[in-house]
Amino acid sequence: MAEIDPITLEVVTEGLISVVREMRATVFRTARSVAIYEARDFSCGLFDAKGQVVAQSEDIGSHVVPLPWSVESALDELGGDLESGDIILMNDPYRGGTHLNDVTIIYPVFEDGELVFFPAVREHWADVGGAVPGSMSGTATEIYQEGMRIPPVKIVERGEINKPLMEVLLSNMRVREERLGDFNSSLAACRTAERRLRELTARYSMQVLLDCVELNLARSEARMRANIAALPDGEYYYEDYLETFGPDGFEPLLLPLNLTIDGEEMTADLTGASPQVPAPVNSTLAVTAASVYIALKSTLDPAHALNHGSFRPVTVVAPERTIVNVGHPAPAGSHGEIRKRVIATMLGALSRACPELVSADIHRTSFHNLIGGVDPASNSEFVHYEWACGGNGGFLESDGPSAMAAIDWGDLTTVQPTEVLESRFPLHIEWTQLGLDSGGPGQRRGGLGMRRALRLTRGTAAYSLLSDGAIMPPFGVHGGETGAPVDSYVIRADGSEHHFDSPGKVGGHPLTEGDTVILQSAAGGGYGDPLRRDPEDVRRDVENDLVSQDIAEAIYGVRFNGDGSIDDDGTKANRAALSQARPRLRTTSDEADPYVASGPSQRRTIRLHPADMAAHDLEPDQKIELLDEVGAPLRGWVVADDSIAQGTTPLDRLGHRLLGVDAGAEVYVRPLYTPIVDYRAAPIA
Amino acid sequence: MITLGIDVGGTFTDLVMRDSRTGELRSLKTPTTPPTYADGVMNAIRRTGAAPGDIADIAHGMTVATNTALEMNGAKLGVITTRGFRDVLVVGRGNRTTLYDIKAVRPPPLVPRARILEVDERMTATGEVHLTLDEAQVAAACKRLSEMDVEAIAICFLHSYANPEHERRAAEVVSRLMPGLPVSVSSDILPEYREFERFSTTALNSYVGPKVSQYLDRLSGSLTAEDIKAPLRIMGSNGGTWSAAAMAAEPVNAMLSGPAGGVTASVGIARILERPNIITYDMGGTSTDACLIRNYAYGMTTEGHVGMWPNRAPQIEIKTVGAGGGSIAYLDPGKFLNVGPRSAGALPGPACYGRGGTEPTVTDANVVLGRFRPDLALGGEIELDEEAARNAVKGLGDQLGLDPERTAEGIVRLAVARMTATVKEISVMRGLDPRDFTLFAYGGAGPLHAAEIAEELGITEIVIPPMPGAFSAYGLLTADTRYDVTRTRLTRLSETTLEELQAIIEPLREEARERLRRDGFQDSDIKLQVFLDMRFVGQAFELTTEMPEAPENIEEIAIAFQAVYQERYAQSDTGPSEIVSFRVVGFGGSAPIALPERAVGGDVAPSTTRAISFDGAFVDTPILQRENLPADVAIDGPAIIEEDGATTVVPPQFSATLDRRGILILKRNGNG
Repeated sequence: MAEIDPITLEVVTEGLISVVREMRATVFRTARSVAIYEARDFSCGLFDAKGQVVAQSEDIGSHVVPLPWSVESALDELGGDLESGDIILMNDPYRGGTHLNDVTIIYPVFEDGELVFFPAVREHWADVGGAVPGSMSGTATEIYQEGMRIPPVKIVERGEINKPLMEVLLSNMRVREERLGDFNSSLAACRTAERRLRELTARYSMQVLLDCVELNLARSEARMRANIAALPDGEYYYEDYLETFGPDGFEPLLLPLNLTIDGEEMTADLTGASPQVPAPVNSTLAVTAASVYIALKSTLDPAHALNHGSFRPVTVVAPERTIVNVGHPAPAGSHGEIRKRVIATMLGALSRACPELVSADIHRTSFHNLIGGVDPASNSEFVHYEWACGGNGGFLESDGPSAMAAIDWGDLTTVQPTEVLESRFPLHIEWTQLGLDSGGPGQRRGGLGMRRALRLTRGTAAYSLLSDGAIMPPFGVHGGETGAPVDSYVIRADGSEHHFDSPGKVGGHPLTEGDTVILQSAAGGGYGDPLRRDPEDVRRDVENDLVSQDIAEAIYGVRFNGDGSIDDDGTKANRAALSQARPRLRTTSDEADPYVASGPSQRRTIRLHPADMAAHDLEPDQKIELLDEVGAPLRGWVVADDSIAQGTTPLDRLGHRLLGVDAGAEVYVRPLYTPIVDYRAAPIA
Repeated sequence: MITLGIDVGGTFTDLVMRDSRTGELRSLKTPTTPPTYADGVMNAIRRTGAAPGDIADIAHGMTVATNTALEMNGAKLGVITTRGFRDVLVVGRGNRTTLYDIKAVRPPPLVPRARILEVDERMTATGEVHLTLDEAQVAAACKRLSEMDVEAIAICFLHSYANPEHERRAAEVVSRLMPGLPVSVSSDILPEYREFERFSTTALNSYVGPKVSQYLDRLSGSLTAEDIKAPLRIMGSNGGTWSAAAMAAEPVNAMLSGPAGGVTASVGIARILERPNIITYDMGGTSTDACLIRNYAYGMTTEGHVGMWPNRAPQIEIKTVGAGGGSIAYLDPGKFLNVGPRSAGALPGPACYGRGGTEPTVTDANVVLGRFRPDLALGGEIELDEEAARNAVKGLGDQLGLDPERTAEGIVRLAVARMTATVKEISVMRGLDPRDFTLFAYGGAGPLHAAEIAEELGITEIVIPPMPGAFSAYGLLTADTRYDVTRTRLTRLSETTLEELQAIIEPLREEARERLRRDGFQDSDIKLQVFLDMRFVGQAFELTTEMPEAPENIEEIAIAFQAVYQERYAQSDTGPSEIVSFRVVGFGGSAPIALPERAVGGDVAPSTTRAISFDGAFVDTPILQRENLPADVAIDGPAIIEEDGATTVVPPQFSATLDRRGILILKRNGNG
């Protein structure tokens, strides 16, 4: 490799990033889908001949980080057969894609007969066919219901568009003109990229460009290697659940993560994940691996530009035909839920490897709410799509931000103006506010979730919800408590309440005039023991109505004088008493399978002696957490077992690994805390 | 008769003076005097030596509003809002503040949640009363806010753009119970929909209000004390001046008070040169502002921000990037070379200022390359410490394994690359080719880098206006008075008539006229323009469309909108469209720029030569003084043209001509 001076390197790098920015601007200007040019649900990338990311736009992590898998898959299938003037189109989730709506164009650029770069554009097309308008069905059982599946194909061959193929595609999608416009916008962006790349090569020579690319990849790799090397070697484990509902109610799908840190390298192994299910709770290897990278980048290396080099020291293992590496013919529409849960397990595992770098769990789901119907005033259809963000996890330096988009969401705007909604839809927004007490208590408090009440003002409508995290709330770390889970229910016009049998997953619940839907996005988990939170921070939270006085006293242990000032002595005594009262158990080594299965679902049982259950007020089948001072808690369901010694709980190897303790260690046990959030509790002024 | 333009910058206060009797135009600099900026302004006025009675007009660009918001030292604010909506200002739109950072936080709020109080009241989207305002609750809120010792109050109710009645009644209650306390009412500040953006603009107004009022009071007091009776006009973000009283009431309109003057003056110079399409590039010490002008018109936007807070007050569409002469070059932990956004500021300033700065800045790099002599450029205010500049650059070079010259070149190239990206953002990213534009470079550091930026963008003509170092102050002399009046009223074109539209617009026109009359303008001096914020039905964002003059039917309005849409997004659409907001812009008294002509011809006599680095090699380069250049004589590069307040670099492939009106024009030789 020629010697590249650091200045040329920076200027060329700026030039390459600028190519991607211009691709982005081109799509934005020319796309036809409102989702693209207003919600900006698309991403652009520049890849080298090996399919490595050279430069990416950084707007939507969930979108752009998985893109390399599509390029790799296209190269595998068509790489040997590409010529100048060929353009590849694809969206197949099973071949490196995300969900069918994300349609990708890959555009090979040749220099002197040699393949050198691939600009690529991924756009969320508003419709790709399938069972429902918009193609994202919450009730799909097979991928065929989710739209047209396009393997990597040459949609343009040596400059000639494959018209019959295009016609087949457009004939199977809704609003064909708009689809054609979306396609053309991707094409325009790639052509712009080719032009700019040629300008760059004319100026710096292709060799200098390629050398700069390699140097950048090497630098990012070196940085990630150094970051990983700084973590203590070892095996770390976390397990979490996705939520489905069967005839017998809640059916948790297990998602375990074994994280191995070995010198400069890391392996994230999801072996043991639930088999794929005929429901939209599955996602692809690309999404899973991208989620691992998003978690790593956001904790270890947030400040630097994204490229492929930082992925090199990391291996992701996701067995085929599981919820994290879906295969034919299972639906693949639910990338939002898998993504957030993979990120959660990464945080759980890293919480022991680098306790200072992680946050507690983040609001668990993408929380897609839909209220749609026909407005009798205009006799026209309406759909209100609300993807409210929630609270973020607390971390060493700060409380988690309340109601703010999560790390995988990029710059998406998540709170829609009441004034716009009321102008457009037959909806009256009663209130929009942070959920009092929803944030996971901790030395650093989790961010609060958002609550909104929407009343249907005329006609009828249907309410649907595709989310997760309604049963298992966001976890705290290092002794921090859970944040509030997702919730939604209906207050009918007559004042009665309707709660759903499958919380978080609702399909077309009928609403009539005067019914009010209450939405609550999940909060963030707490970081550190709430009894160690600075009483002044607690007092300020009470003053700002973020924490109620009851919770301040019962969970944070802070007592106040009549004038609202802190009662120092009372606080000290109360905190000591609360700390003293925390039940502890000694673990014993037991390799009996702790999981109870039902169909594809599995849940961890934690066996307790009935006397301990009575002493600590725990019921059979109750959800509890075992925890150590450091790290995320182990969650499970109580099973009474009088064959074990009182004051102990048997735990398998993985359970011990999750907690970072050896058999015989003392751990805390506590019921799974679910904050009670009551919007009516905060009359102000 | 003397008119003054005074622009307060981070380091210097610039003053430009025009004497209409002699045609004389002159500029001077005095140090900015934080925190009592008014003292610096008065120092500058005194230094003109003008007799108080001769000063007829003062136009002023100030930074108090912006600094107060950015430095977070504004008023202790209280907010009264609609029940159920106190978190609008707390949560905003729920955007992430830093992508891919698990430790991202929100900036501290303008007002803590505890000082946002809710009262029962509700309007509907069409302005009907849904729940009557409970004035007793407003009174209770006032009581609580006085107990909290608030210094200003913002009243922010839902749908007040549609019906301001509740907000006005609440404001009356506040004024009665808390007399003398400044009150900002959202329907006054910005009668447009989208509550977060309106509340944020209103809260910003309230937050910076007391500081701005104090400043203007002090300045007016000082003027009176010196017996200067000239009216004080304040430059607004909208590109026109406001009376000091009007700006004191709505200071959120002063956030771009500084850079706006340069943009409006650029339009004037562009007219003289008959260059309808220009890009302005104003590079100062800590930041660079760029603005795109087409057909002699700068773009307007209502999507501005101050820090993280939306500011929807109508403002010139200026793109700001945090890189200027004082930007620091450094290696980040990944050994990446970076320039800015950290700046050496006024203190210690660049290392070459010899005030203790040790980190290399863009200015230091220019000193090492021989291009810039701040001691000369800043009129003796600064003493050059060349050694310190060299040491600072060398320190960085040692880490990179480069000698100081190559390091300096690298710093400048990287700064240029960043600023080029900014110009691209306002041109290329909108589908416009910068090669079709002339680059207008000013600000202390603009003319230093203009040629390199033009080279990167393929621009072949550069204009360095008169007094580039004080150009914003110069622009203040020529600015119109301007008031923008707006109202949101969702109106589908298919469901309205021209008469209905006129019925909405006419009161707005009258309000704009009335505001100008209050500033002493006769109706004959008043010019009004009507704009409509429009979109296709179903879309969420609007484009501002000028209302056709005397349209004969509604269809003409739809066509005008479609043309704007086509221009912005490079694609056409013909669906049903609707008006979201109505805007009337009133202009008062325009004074077109007049530049004195000079004799043509003469010899070019270089005062000295200096070794200057171009493309990696030092070349003996003539150093010329702008004021001594003969008119209309082309000078081939390389050359350095120095003047009070700025230095222009003319690289070898460019030539420079000072035209007979004193405008310096650089052209690229050959085909560019």
